[in-house]
Amino acid sequence: MALPANRRLPNDWYDGVVPAFVEVHAEAHIETSFSFSACRCERQTAIRLARGVHLYSNTLFDVGPQGEVDIGECAMLNGARLICESRISIGAYAAISWNVIFMDCYRLPYDPAARRSLLLAAGHSQPIVDPREPARPITLHDNVWIGFDVCILPGVTIGEGSVVGARSVVTSDVPAYTVVAGNPARVVRALPQPGAPSA
Amino acid sequence: MPEPSPLTLPANVRIGPDSVLTGSETFRRFFAKRDPAVEIGSHCHLEDVQLALGPNAHVRVGDHVFASHMLVLCEEAISIGDRVFFSFNVVLADTDFHPLDPALRVADAIAISPVAQGRKRPPIATAPLRIDDDVWIGPNVTILKGVHVGAGAFIEPGALVTRDVPPRARMLGNPAQIVGEV
Repeated sequence: MALPANRRLPNDWYDGVVPAFVEVHAEAHIETSFSFSACRCERQTAIRLARGVHLYSNTLFDVGPQGEVDIGECAMLNGARLICESRISIGAYAAISWNVIFMDCYRLPYDPAARRSLLLAAGHSQPIVDPREPARPITLHDNVWIGFDVCILPGVTIGEGSVVGARSVVTSDVPAYTVVAGNPARVVRALPQPGAPSA
Repeated sequence: MPEPSPLTLPANVRIGPDSVLTGSETFRRFFAKRDPAVEIGSHCHLEDVQLALGPNAHVRVGDHVFASHMLVLCEEAISIGDRVFFSFNVVLADTDFHPLDPALRVADAIAISPVAQGRKRPPIATAPLRIDDDVWIGPNVTILKGVHVGAGAFIEPGALVTRDVPPRARMLGNPAQIVGEV
């Protein structure tokens, strides 16, 4: 999909354009510009979509001023939500199911007293974000498959070829070629590595 | 995009000053008969929150409460304190929806079917759900009936909360366990 000069998508149900901070490969596919409507990006290029990336309708990028999202070749996002204040990178050939949540930042502090002043000051138009809240990047290496309703928490790295079972909550790193499942997610089995003799 | 149509507020719903309630589904399954059935405080922002309330339900929401895409399933009582922050896709339920006993479940299946012919549903367990002040609730969290979440608690994303949460506890998992204190 080569974007036209006005960056308007064909047959988009949402009355918007693909923002300039989204770098889209000519052979990537975006269903709707609504996917970028929650972004508050200040970087010139904040979101990169490589060749063959396909984003389906409920995918929502909620990227803060300094956030960066990189999506690798032929990765499919079928309704994920990406909350990003630092960096989220998704490798090539990823399959990301519906309602998957990536959050690299909690956006509000653990301390209830600190949250209280932010909530008391909050209005109706701006998201409630504490800019001091630390963000820790999320990295998915190539060929990762994430089941539906999964939450991936700040700082998590998922190794190449791994699978996360549906409704899991991933709180720590996942090694390569491993299946994890559960809330919190635990290793349930190993997967064959490419080139390894099959059992 | 078409302008959203204004909500028609049922007469037994009270909303305090500077509170905003949006969404086309808010009262899609609203059968509450009490008056008031819903009391929302001031300075709240409730976006696409569905209030699925049975006839006897009572929902109270404090001041400065924020929520989006939340489902509130209430048959008895759900009480939310002040300055509670709900991330998206949260579910609160104070009911089991159906009986646990298999024989009663057959009776229930008939009573809610198109061939009920006036049969009444068997009793279904409910228990009030209460969330105290200054609680943070992550995305995709579910909180079940009878749970009391103590003040200042932090419910991690995706947690399924089945038991009481002490004040300032950090909860994670299914079923949710205490993993720390804030």
